[in-house]
Amino acid sequence: MGLKELENKSIYILREAYAEFENPAILWSMGKDSTTALWLCRKAFLGEIPFPVIHIDTGYKFKQMYEFRDRIAEEWGFDLVIAKNEEAMKAGMGPEKGKLECCTALKTEALMNYLDKHRFDALFLAIRRDEHGIRAKERVFSPRDEEFRWNYRDQPLEMWDQYQTQGRSEKGAVQNHTRVHPILHWRELDVWEYIKQEKDIPVNPMYFANDGKRYRSLGCEPCTSPIESTAKTIDEVVEELRTTKVAERSGRAQDKEKAFMMQKLRALGYM
Amino acid sequence: MSVNVVLVGHVDHGKSTLIGRLLYDSESIKDERVEEIQKLAEEYKRKFEFAYFLDSFEDELKEERTIDTVSLMFKGKKNFYTITDVPGHKEFIKNMLTGASHADVAVLVVSAEEGVQEQTRRHMFLLKMLGIKQVFVVVNKMDAVEYNKERFEEEKEQISKLLDSFDYATGEMLFIPVSAMEGDNIYKYSEHMKWYDGPTLIDALDGVRLEGKEKPLRFAVQDIYKVEDEETIVGRVESGILRRADNVVFEPSGVKAKVEKINVFDGELAEAKAGDSIGIIINGGVVKRGDVLGLLEKPPKPTNAFLGEAVLLDKNLKKGEVVEIRCGTAKVSGEIKEIREKIDSETGAVLESNPEEINEHDAATIVFATEPLVVEEFAEIPELGRFVLVKANRNIGAGVVLNADVKM
Repeated sequence: MGLKELENKSIYILREAYAEFENPAILWSMGKDSTTALWLCRKAFLGEIPFPVIHIDTGYKFKQMYEFRDRIAEEWGFDLVIAKNEEAMKAGMGPEKGKLECCTALKTEALMNYLDKHRFDALFLAIRRDEHGIRAKERVFSPRDEEFRWNYRDQPLEMWDQYQTQGRSEKGAVQNHTRVHPILHWRELDVWEYIKQEKDIPVNPMYFANDGKRYRSLGCEPCTSPIESTAKTIDEVVEELRTTKVAERSGRAQDKEKAFMMQKLRALGYM
Repeated sequence: MSVNVVLVGHVDHGKSTLIGRLLYDSESIKDERVEEIQKLAEEYKRKFEFAYFLDSFEDELKEERTIDTVSLMFKGKKNFYTITDVPGHKEFIKNMLTGASHADVAVLVVSAEEGVQEQTRRHMFLLKMLGIKQVFVVVNKMDAVEYNKERFEEEKEQISKLLDSFDYATGEMLFIPVSAMEGDNIYKYSEHMKWYDGPTLIDALDGVRLEGKEKPLRFAVQDIYKVEDEETIVGRVESGILRRADNVVFEPSGVKAKVEKINVFDGELAEAKAGDSIGIIINGGVVKRGDVLGLLEKPPKPTNAFLGEAVLLDKNLKKGEVVEIRCGTAKVSGEIKEIREKIDSETGAVLESNPEEINEHDAATIVFATEPLVVEEFAEIPELGRFVLVKANRNIGAGVVLNADVKM
């Protein structure tokens, strides 16, 4: 798909969800994908982002990511909210206790508690099909049940652009909501070509090479490592991605600890 | 050019393997992923399979079958492809339809060992209903029948007979003998089938041409935003071209207006074409989500009864029952007024005329009596000629419009 087509489809999805749900929010990790999604929100809603922007803070992010977060939030003037699992953080949760446990406590549970408190019925997430085999199996509108779980064996019928828009249930546990994936159909290369075209999408400098290394995907400091690269500009990143044989999430430790780790994480409500 | 391709066919005829092979031969798979699959195969004591590139659920590996649809993107020799794998089990027809609904063209995979089977028939019936007419047929597992030409010809005849019964244009259809496992005639010509003088699968796909039919203007209203005190109607051009100063009508609201501005975030546009997500400002009148805009000289017509052909994915649907119907951005309630024919989604045969109800996996021609709504005949404007049925917040069926205005 051309960039124009990709953008048109994303805007359509954002507007559909905004019309169908009462209380949506978007997750922002300050990476290239979710920052592009924020930019697409500005396009879809013709300026202002009309819902809260949630950062799930594990306390383990890179310093440059926090700086980037605060700067962009101020420049674009959206409603930034920060969700943390303070209890687990105080109890000393960290990757050395197991990556599945750590991601689940500091990301999934932090989000779950926050949703419970603020009763969001839809969450925008900037995941993409080409990032990971498990994400490739997602729907654009993907329901999460009362226990926050993804029932991947029974996903909704999603034909053409007719999404299933189940609202939040009235009774019982309240973690159920719908994940909405506005850039599911984009590839990594598309994101960078779009950043190049749009010019005004801010990029964290960690994506560019420094001493022969750059980050291709950003996460928590202990579990994220850079790749070998000489790409110092957006143009050079685009060139690198056209020919690379290295996987995008090769520097993300939580995917690789054991087989089907990502599936297990996601079934529990991970992003 | 970018092309959406779906692979369909019976379980175990090799759809996932074929896609894995296409990705591998086109060098679209990252090294790390190959290593990961090798490791996984060892861990689960399985032989390395191309299908594991697609079947990324643990359940899929354990059960050795595809459960959910998956779309992957790759560059062929010429075109750019989004290729969709669908499960070949009846149990997962819902996922098959989800995957197939975005396709421009289809590749039917039939095993040279097993020939036409239940899901071969059902998938082709459903594709036909969804209006996917451009089909390539691959006869797979030729390695298992010693690359035998006669075997291929027999299969070809059997498949043609089936497709003819569904009114596909088999005369112009390409039939390609392949082995996805060995890589014969997928990306590279086969050394084992010198008797075959047609194109490889990738060359056949690279030769696809997508016809663009001229259609009247339709714009589906998604929402109304207030931007700097101006009411902006946002939505998507579904077909045709919208221009500034066009005289238009919104239905079923019945608002006639002039388009004063076409807005996007980057500024004003003079015109917008099919697929564009835009905002428009008109010179007055109250419209709503679900309205469809068209030019005054070729207006959309609201209806309150239409005839559709649909397939059901829920337990049953009874005459007199009320469901929600979604078409474009419209969402209305509609009564199952009449079930004209219950159709076997495997064979296309009429099972019963005027039945009281239909059941899971049945297709049927149904008259829906609805609240005022714009639908178009699928043959004319497919974008607004397809609909989804919703019950208790679940999408339970889908279909296409055969007659947009049935007189009750």
